[in-house]
Amino acid sequence: MTTTVEATGLVKAYGRRHALAGLDLAARTGVTGLLGPNGAGKTTLLRILATVLPTDAGHLRLLGHDPHEPTGRRHVRRRLGYLPQDAGFHRGFTAFEAVDYVAVLKEHTRTRARHDEVRRVLDLVGLGDVATTKVRALSGGMRQRLGLAQALLGSPELLVLDEPTVGLDPEQRMRFRDLVSEAGRGRTVILSTHQTEDVAAVCSEVVVVTGGRSVFTGTPAELAQVAAGRVWVDDDKDPRAVAGWRVGAGHYHHVGDPPAGAELVDPTIEDAYLLLLGPRAGAGMGEVA
Amino acid sequence: MTTTPWHLDETLAGRYAGGTLGAVLTASVEQHLTACASCRALLTPHVDAPRLDAVWADVLERVERPRRSLLERGLSRSGVDDATARLVAAAPSLRGAWVTGTTLVLALALVAAYVATNGVGLYLALAPLMPMAGVALAYGPMSDPAHEMVAATPYSPLRLLALRTAFVVATTLAPAALAGLFLPGSPYLAVVWLLPALALTVGTVALSTRVAPHLAAAALAVAWLTVSLRALAPRRDPLLATSSPVLLVCTVVLVAATAFLYARRRDLAELLRRTA
Repeated sequence: MTTTVEATGLVKAYGRRHALAGLDLAARTGVTGLLGPNGAGKTTLLRILATVLPTDAGHLRLLGHDPHEPTGRRHVRRRLGYLPQDAGFHRGFTAFEAVDYVAVLKEHTRTRARHDEVRRVLDLVGLGDVATTKVRALSGGMRQRLGLAQALLGSPELLVLDEPTVGLDPEQRMRFRDLVSEAGRGRTVILSTHQTEDVAAVCSEVVVVTGGRSVFTGTPAELAQVAAGRVWVDDDKDPRAVAGWRVGAGHYHHVGDPPAGAELVDPTIEDAYLLLLGPRAGAGMGEVA
Repeated sequence: MTTTPWHLDETLAGRYAGGTLGAVLTASVEQHLTACASCRALLTPHVDAPRLDAVWADVLERVERPRRSLLERGLSRSGVDDATARLVAAAPSLRGAWVTGTTLVLALALVAAYVATNGVGLYLALAPLMPMAGVALAYGPMSDPAHEMVAATPYSPLRLLALRTAFVVATTLAPAALAGLFLPGSPYLAVVWLLPALALTVGTVALSTRVAPHLAAAALAVAWLTVSLRALAPRRDPLLATSSPVLLVCTVVLVAATAFLYARRRDLAELLRRTA
């Protein structure tokens, strides 16, 4: 287990707005999940890790190289797979051609070997049968998998995936989790999500990001423990809770500082996540304190 | 029709798999195999799996191998390797629609040069914009929906831009130069617009280090048309675009832009990537 991504004090500003405000991150072999609300800085961070965006300040090393230096950057890009949030392809290309195009840019120059590699990654994501279908005829979920296929080209040591489960139906999501868990063996996968189930299912390490900073780093089990003793159920909604929502037949599930004699329950990753984000987290959830 | 119950034995299966059976027996075995599951099962262990995989991969290679466009085949024939041809062809400005559009615009401008008053001025105003627009469209997010993925690959963005620029300029210049030969008036008109075309194209690349390529091209196009379209006004010189002051300004822009690009050649790739 070596550290493949080392970031300390990363700063990135767009005008006056700080997308990253001194973020720390250390990732090693395995799957690291970035959990955070929209606008937390996840995409900015992943774009920086994918060498697409330079930082304004802070220390960053990827696979032992400095991505701000041209040679270092090229070394990183040779061992990197990146699925951006809006993975687009020429709509007139077939699935095969779309991946083949990226493969050329990834320096797979020998035609036959490149084509074999393109077929390998298409099979991996279950798109082997639609290789000759045009991108414009593929469903949203298929295009998402096509994006993943190009990221897997050349079995990269560092895989950066921005919200890879968006647009996938439950079955595809299951399949996808298997794929990511598999990919996490012997390489570093960093993915962002706002699905706590994704984290529980595939991540060996989770980082909670909010306001451009990391507020928690640890295993999913450790994350859940953050909320230990701070989750309770009650028949009525408690206005003092950080977040509270109705579950099952009339019970309310609460996160926050429990009143005396409250009926405590085992915390989940979601409870801890909401607790870490504070009252702001539930703002869009309807029934909140 | 009924068939006699006849099946493969180990020896026959081995010889069939090894390819040492005669043509007649092979045909007969094959006919039988399509209908008999137990004989297929018997044959399975005799089959050389890696060889079968290789055969299957060859079949897929034939079936799935991208059908190459006319442009890609043409490039390959002129000595460009197939990987490079693919990158060039991925730019929309190199697609058939673009080439057709350019040719059409030039043809219309050529007709205008014959029939309209000062029509040659329209030709001289539009022709230099064609290669520039092609270059602006050949690179960056406007042209490549996969640009975010492309940016994370080790391929040099400068090389990509240079490749596409070269091909766009070549494919646009050909019809424009051809049309120029048919312009009424001095044969000098057929080549003189090349200077503004070059100045606008190189100027666009230089400006693209600061703003997005399509914005750079739009800004220069507006500036150019503001000057050159004045030739269409009555009692104006239709050859305004080829007048000495205009050509002088074009030369200055060309030299300045080239010098700038040369001076920034080391970090040019990064500058262009950030605006694109």
